[in-house]
Amino acid sequence: MNKSNRGLRLTESQFGFLLLFPALIVYAAVLLYPLLNSTYMSFTDQTLLKADRHFVGLANFRALWHDPNFLDMFLHTVAFVVGATIAPFILGFIWSIVLQQGFKGSKWLRSLTLVNWVLPGTAISFLWMWMFQSNYGVINGLLMKLGLISENINWLGSTNYAMAVVILASTWKGVPWFMVFLFGGLQAVPREQLEAARMDGAGNVTAFLKIIYPSMRPIIAVSLILGAIGNLQQFDLQWVMTEGGPARATTTLSIEVYRSAFREWDLGKASAIGLVWVLIMGIFAAFYLRHMREQLKS
Amino acid sequence: MFEHTSGFRVFFWISLVCLTAFLFFPLYWMLNSALKPASDIFELSFIPHRPTWDHFAEVFRDREIRRYFVNSLTLSIASCVFTTIISAYAGYSFSKYRYRGRMSFMLLFLLAKMFPYAVLLLSMYALMLKLQLLDNYLSLVLAYVTFTLPVGCWTLKTYFDGIPDELIESAKIDGAGNARILHRVILPLALPGLVSVAIYGFVWSWNDLLYSLTLVTSPEKRTLAPGLILSYLGEAQQDWGGMMAASIAVSLPVTLLFLLLQRYFIQGLVAGAVKG
Repeated sequence: MNKSNRGLRLTESQFGFLLLFPALIVYAAVLLYPLLNSTYMSFTDQTLLKADRHFVGLANFRALWHDPNFLDMFLHTVAFVVGATIAPFILGFIWSIVLQQGFKGSKWLRSLTLVNWVLPGTAISFLWMWMFQSNYGVINGLLMKLGLISENINWLGSTNYAMAVVILASTWKGVPWFMVFLFGGLQAVPREQLEAARMDGAGNVTAFLKIIYPSMRPIIAVSLILGAIGNLQQFDLQWVMTEGGPARATTTLSIEVYRSAFREWDLGKASAIGLVWVLIMGIFAAFYLRHMREQLKS
Repeated sequence: MFEHTSGFRVFFWISLVCLTAFLFFPLYWMLNSALKPASDIFELSFIPHRPTWDHFAEVFRDREIRRYFVNSLTLSIASCVFTTIISAYAGYSFSKYRYRGRMSFMLLFLLAKMFPYAVLLLSMYALMLKLQLLDNYLSLVLAYVTFTLPVGCWTLKTYFDGIPDELIESAKIDGAGNARILHRVILPLALPGLVSVAIYGFVWSWNDLLYSLTLVTSPEKRTLAPGLILSYLGEAQQDWGGMMAASIAVSLPVTLLFLLLQRYFIQGLVAGAVKG
């Protein structure tokens, strides 16, 4: 940047590009190179145990195709992403409507809600592990007291419940995030149209369906896409609470990639799974980009 | 927005009560359990009858946890500084300059959030191993900056968009160069945006588990998230009171930071995400 003082003058657009330069270098190192290298690794037998690697063609992908665990993991991922996106979306939407009424203390409640979202995943995991602990957890205790169960349930040790508990913990973390987005969307609903609809005798439900929902559609779409992408990345909760278990019941894509690479030391396999993941992400990315490009143009 | 009909009132009160319980009871339970003495922890009591700070004292006395704490703090400050600087430059570049490829770069930045972190980690780990940069915070800072850049850069772009071009023009007439205008005129005006990006960067790095778990290998460099797992999980008899106290202790810095500066944070977050 001092160059201009030493006589070498940059044009305006050159200066603009120079400002972008640090970001591009970081991206090249952390995104571009690893992505290309992972793609290559998925066609090799590279492990973290030996230094050399060989090109093996599609062997890793063929192995995945025949691996019964792979489909299982895939279904767990879908269950987790759908559950952990839809549940906090609905609750976050309701919560934003409640807070939007602006009662006494609602602002205070709104900031307090957001605390859940900044807490470290490790702390959240500890908390929910403790609440759902099989012998002394508060959830079992309450259910027993209310007479809803007759003996303690080993929530996180059960293949039936573990995923639901992880989704619940993720929902608890995610509600504030959706609330912020949707609260912003509610504030931006055009008042005049709403008034006009009211004049025509529209009730709450009609007003919601005819005016509020349509005007919030873009923000709903973005929040759902970003939420789903975030959940696809989610690692901490599953790993800390259950290490992907019991019996792989909470093993999602990110857990599987991590375990293949850093427990089985098989970089080839991990990269192949990763490549499948990148392709799935591509679908979300396409939706998101189309949406954002329209926004940028307008 | 909604007419307060009796139907709406029922919806309102049920939602308010249920969601308040769902969102806040766990936080209360965390504190409640942390304050109970070890002998009471397995009782289902909603108020600690004999509250004690023992669990907290134990957490703070633990030399290893103290070291994790200092490590996390160092790392988070470093990544937050770099994120803020790099995002500010990139955001300003997107906002006020026009050059070829600008649109493509902007879309690339949006995409960066979507690359699977776990997959990028594979190659990064292999590369750092080869360069002997494992166990070096540089690799972590690089990773965190990358993941926080998209939100950071877009937040600040939106901020800069709101600063009128006339301001820049008049500074130019006064003879200020591009760099001087950016640092002396624009950045001070964008302070709220910078603050929110800085918090975002700090929180990201403070909370990360995946990268710090893998790229840090020595106990001396270990940070909080993997450290706590090592300290509290895996033992046969789990110390739940200690775990809750430790969870509160790790959460405190980010929570305080956030509550103090949240006005900026929400403004920036929503602006960056919504307006694009």
